[in-house]
Amino acid sequence: MTHNARPESSSDSPDGSTSGRPPTFTSWLRSRSDEELTALLRGRPDLGRPIPVDIGALAHRATSRNATLRALERLDRFTLQVLESVVALGDDRLSEPVGALPSDLAHGLGFTPAGVLGTEPLDAALDALRSLALIWPDQGRLRPVQVLRELLPHPARLGPPARVPLAALPHGTVERLADDLVPHSTAGSAVESVATVLSDPDRVRALVEQVDASAHRLLDSLTWGPPNGTVTDARREVSLATASSPVDSLIARGLLLPTGDDTLTLPREVGLFLRSGTLFQDVGSSPPGFDGRSVDPDTISRAAAGQAFVVLRAVEELLERWSQEPAAVLRNGGLGVRDLRRAAQAMDTDDTTAALFLETARAAGLLATDDRLSGEWLPTREYDLWRESPPERRWSRLVRAWVDSDRVPSLAGAQDSGGRSYNVLGPGLARPAAPQVRHDVLSELASAVPGTAPETDSLKARLAWRYPRRQTPLYTELVDATVAEAAVLGLTAMGALAAHTRPWLSGDEDASSALLATELPQPLDYVLVQGDMTAVAPGPLVTQLARELALTADVESTGGATVYRFTESSVRRALDAGRGVADLTAMLERHSRTPLPQALRYLISDVGRRHGRLRAGSAASYLRCDEPALLTELVGDRRATDLDLVLLAPTVVVSGLTRAALMERLDRLGYHPVAERGDGTIRLSRPEVRRAEPDVLPVSEHSSDPELARAAVRALRAGDEATNVARVPVELPESDSPAARANALAEVLERVLADERRVWIGYTDTDGRQVSRIVVPTRVDGGFLTAYDTTRDAVHRFALHRVTGVAELSPDS
Amino acid sequence: MSCLIVQSDKTLLLEIDHEQAGECRRAIAPFAELERAPEHVHTYRITPLALWNARAAGHDAEQVVDALIRFSKFPVPHSLLVDIAETMGRYGRLKLVGDPRNGLLLESSDRAVLEEVVRAKKLKGMLGERLSEDSVSVHPSERGNLKQALLKIGWPAEDLAGYVDGEKHPIDLADGDWDLRGYQREAAESFHAGGSGVVVLPCGAGKTIVGAAAMAMTGKTTLILVTNTVSVHQWKSELLRRTSLTEDEIGEYSGTKKEIRPVTIATYQVMASRRKGVYTHLELFDARDWGLVVYDEVHLLPAPIFRMTADLQARRRLGLTATLVREDGREGDVFSLIGPKRYDAPWKDMENQGWIAPADCVEVRVDLTESERLAYATAEPEDRYRFCASTESKTSVVREIVDRHPEDQVLVIGSYIDQLDELGERLGAPVIKGETRNKERERLYDAFRSGELRTLVVSKVANFSIDLPEAGVAVQVSGSFGSRQEEAQRLGRVLRPKTDGRTARFYAVVARDTLDQDYAAHRQRFLAEQGYAYRIADAGDLLAGEEI
Repeated sequence: MTHNARPESSSDSPDGSTSGRPPTFTSWLRSRSDEELTALLRGRPDLGRPIPVDIGALAHRATSRNATLRALERLDRFTLQVLESVVALGDDRLSEPVGALPSDLAHGLGFTPAGVLGTEPLDAALDALRSLALIWPDQGRLRPVQVLRELLPHPARLGPPARVPLAALPHGTVERLADDLVPHSTAGSAVESVATVLSDPDRVRALVEQVDASAHRLLDSLTWGPPNGTVTDARREVSLATASSPVDSLIARGLLLPTGDDTLTLPREVGLFLRSGTLFQDVGSSPPGFDGRSVDPDTISRAAAGQAFVVLRAVEELLERWSQEPAAVLRNGGLGVRDLRRAAQAMDTDDTTAALFLETARAAGLLATDDRLSGEWLPTREYDLWRESPPERRWSRLVRAWVDSDRVPSLAGAQDSGGRSYNVLGPGLARPAAPQVRHDVLSELASAVPGTAPETDSLKARLAWRYPRRQTPLYTELVDATVAEAAVLGLTAMGALAAHTRPWLSGDEDASSALLATELPQPLDYVLVQGDMTAVAPGPLVTQLARELALTADVESTGGATVYRFTESSVRRALDAGRGVADLTAMLERHSRTPLPQALRYLISDVGRRHGRLRAGSAASYLRCDEPALLTELVGDRRATDLDLVLLAPTVVVSGLTRAALMERLDRLGYHPVAERGDGTIRLSRPEVRRAEPDVLPVSEHSSDPELARAAVRALRAGDEATNVARVPVELPESDSPAARANALAEVLERVLADERRVWIGYTDTDGRQVSRIVVPTRVDGGFLTAYDTTRDAVHRFALHRVTGVAELSPDS
Repeated sequence: MSCLIVQSDKTLLLEIDHEQAGECRRAIAPFAELERAPEHVHTYRITPLALWNARAAGHDAEQVVDALIRFSKFPVPHSLLVDIAETMGRYGRLKLVGDPRNGLLLESSDRAVLEEVVRAKKLKGMLGERLSEDSVSVHPSERGNLKQALLKIGWPAEDLAGYVDGEKHPIDLADGDWDLRGYQREAAESFHAGGSGVVVLPCGAGKTIVGAAAMAMTGKTTLILVTNTVSVHQWKSELLRRTSLTEDEIGEYSGTKKEIRPVTIATYQVMASRRKGVYTHLELFDARDWGLVVYDEVHLLPAPIFRMTADLQARRRLGLTATLVREDGREGDVFSLIGPKRYDAPWKDMENQGWIAPADCVEVRVDLTESERLAYATAEPEDRYRFCASTESKTSVVREIVDRHPEDQVLVIGSYIDQLDELGERLGAPVIKGETRNKERERLYDAFRSGELRTLVVSKVANFSIDLPEAGVAVQVSGSFGSRQEEAQRLGRVLRPKTDGRTARFYAVVARDTLDQDYAAHRQRFLAEQGYAYRIADAGDLLAGEEI
């Protein structure tokens, strides 16, 4: 820290009095009115979460690095330039008096009170910065909060104040410089005396005039930044007397100061002098205009509303389908590529749009996985409520979810660093910046005159002006995605914001819904049935009728209207679902605005006539008898209720029991049935001569496989070694507490592991047997020992609580 | 809010009872094909081909989008509008132009497109030398194939190479007791303005006269391709009656005669006949410098003629049809090789204006007897349709129908010769079938036309182009499975306006609960989509004497 830096006192005196003490940021903040503080908390909402305990805490938070970074992100290019100017001129490491004079700022930014615009934009920007508590007034001057020194290290592409590099130089170097520049200084230190010289424009002019033309060119190249130049041996020892090269002559006069082994920096004071006080070459106090064609606002709104309707229809179509045939959840939680494609087909759209609709439906809480382990994607209970609400509200909920969601559907299908592609609804699609970008884009579009459709490039240029600190490749990518998605979701059309989107953006959903409702088709409860076996619903149908028709007829085309085609199989489907011929005809008569064609009535009754003529069921055995009376008696027999008997015809009864079981039971009841073969002839039962299966003979002991034998021997030897090896048991605490014992055990094993040694363990295996193993531990964690088991020649996991003992092997074994 | 609903599969639904329906129909007709025209809501479809044809006819995307937005009842999805604009924007990037030095050229103002096209696998061998960055030479004989292939890969070429003039031969429409009807003139003019294309008019609306008018406007030697010999004669007598052409100027090129005159009428059959794998009559196309080629019943165009037509792109081509539905799905080829649809009129519109007779279609359902049912169930799969379509039970029903129309000329139409022979015997009527000689056929048709013969039994040889103005009742007993155009053509036999303005009757006799009924449902689709609603009647009621 420089020696004259003032503490930015957030450790202000508790009484908050400022009398007689230099003013501080905190005391200024305390002096703000309630309205002004409210404006601060609205402009920087993160400062209010959680609510700070006192103004001191608020000041502390407001000047913290992260909060200030977030505040910077909200500034447009001009306000940022003004802020940089305040930082450049108001740095407290510059010479006294500290702070930037408003008149210097106006001059530095090219505003003259007599100019065309006056200083109005500047005043407005300063007001904004004050209200965001990024700058504060101090005795007629403006000071930036201190953390900005770090966040904006090169404000207006200027170098640091001379004190900063000077303080970092070896004492001798600064002394020599001071002696050369101010031989008889009265200042307290060499640094101070050099810094004082450099902050006096007249003396800087004198110094600059001493150097030759090539040194001037060097200065010119650094004037407008970046303020650093690279040379070899920047820390060279030069004085006015020894300076030979142009660079030497600049170093010797303190016009360039070393800031690294090979970096020379133009101090801020010198830079300001060379620019004659101008801070920016190009100051744009208003955003670049929109390029774009003009379109009839009504056309835009209608097209966007049409798109909004498409969204609703697609989401409903898919979720209706998924409530019957849900798609499977991938192991990573997403949706498989094939299911996505199927969903896209169901929604009459491409994969990208389908991904957007799915993600949006999920974000809106309409789609979720069920609780089971290998789950399915299902509509939620919310979905049923949502469907009951009017279409404009349904839309509003979907797009609100989209704007606020941090998931970026357009990333689906892209690949992660491992080459695996991201799945829709799966992990990897979240980008925390996404909601902000969506908000930025929509509010920027809202700033265009209604009826102008801005080109995307001009929108991007404006966004770059509006939020210069947010510009990253990801931001640009997200802008493109947002523009495309907003059009698909019906927020915009032809690149312009729809009328219903404007009030929606400002949070007035009622006004938005009212506008959208005039454009969206409202649900109908009738259809037009025609002679070519089609029914046309000239608009969306009320849910119940839509479901009923989808059951009775095949959907042939969808859109503003729905075209249904009645076919034999579709009518049969309805009959299978329990509708009767009369029900269907009555339903159609009730809902058709046109008389039902005779051919359709015939179709329904024809299918109805043939439906259910044959019936199929399953039974395991049957009984038949030429005397109906006997079967009636049997079916009525109380003892036979558990035989599961059904009288199919006067002479046939079926049962769910197998024939053998049925016969045995009937025998006991005294009916004595006779078994029948499949072709109806009587199957005679006669005692069968019984035979046994031959035993499987053991494999001859002589014909043993040599490989098997060798393996057996190895196992023997190893087991032998394990039991008999000379070993030194490791003391373990007696098991008062199993946890303590396990810990001690783990410690011992870890030590062995570190030495890569073999060790003997006693182990109780899963069958409760005591076994011995010689193992080479490879990992000890989670209550398990993973080790190479030399006894069995394989890697095994051993539960630590089953290890009964550990012993070191003696070195000679 | 108006009368049009735009669907996401790019079909347009037009509510025809709406007061703006007429205006809307005119606005969308240039870029959408009428697909179905039942009672209340007509369906149009926007296809890329239709959009490109609209571009070719001078409409731009803005007009299309405008029409959709103006007439649409609901907001039109933005994505659909974008898609339309993009599709239309693809037209005209490539141009086929005639070049005095290099013959035919494919040119493009968009190099990326030309690059894509030059590299396309489907175009291999059709393009010649690359002449510059913006043009490639094309062999003149590949003009048709190239245009078709370009359509398929989505970069339609604007054909600016024009037509050969052909040999001049003045033809005038004859004065007499007739006038060219408004729609006939419109159809001929719209064809003439476009140079090539297809005119779709219902049976009985006078397509031959549109052909004659087109010939008169062109005034060049003309080759006319028709379906059969009887049709050759009909065309000839019609041309003699309607135009200034004399007997000597019209040649007949068929199985028996091989005359080549300034106007020559040939059958598809003769053109497509081969000997040892060679098309022997191909030279007819080059026999004269034809200025116009007319394809009658273009929906029947056989595959070899398709291929020959691809080579004829420099000559003006006119296709005529009533039913552009093909069960083989090659409707698209007709449009790309002959030309876009230049004129189309819904059947019911023509009926309302009185140009064709109103028709009442009745499906009579016949129950099979118990023994027939059993026989049907056990029939070999390939014989099942034949069995149920030609069932004995139908005969008495046909008799009853014929008896109920004592004042009318009745045609009985079927597909199975045995069935027809039996019906002929039972009804005491002559039978025309494949083996009947042309002379005998014409004698019988003449007798029928003159009223001397009241009932005629015909096989599918009479499906098309047979002009029997006074036939008022047709009874169909069996057909070629589920052919939609056959059904429509058969109805067409009775659609000539009657002198006393009677309503025509069309009966389809169908065996209940069999394949016959399934096929009938499919066959009726085209007519149902044109607004002909079939009534269903029970044969039992009919035989019991109930009015139907």
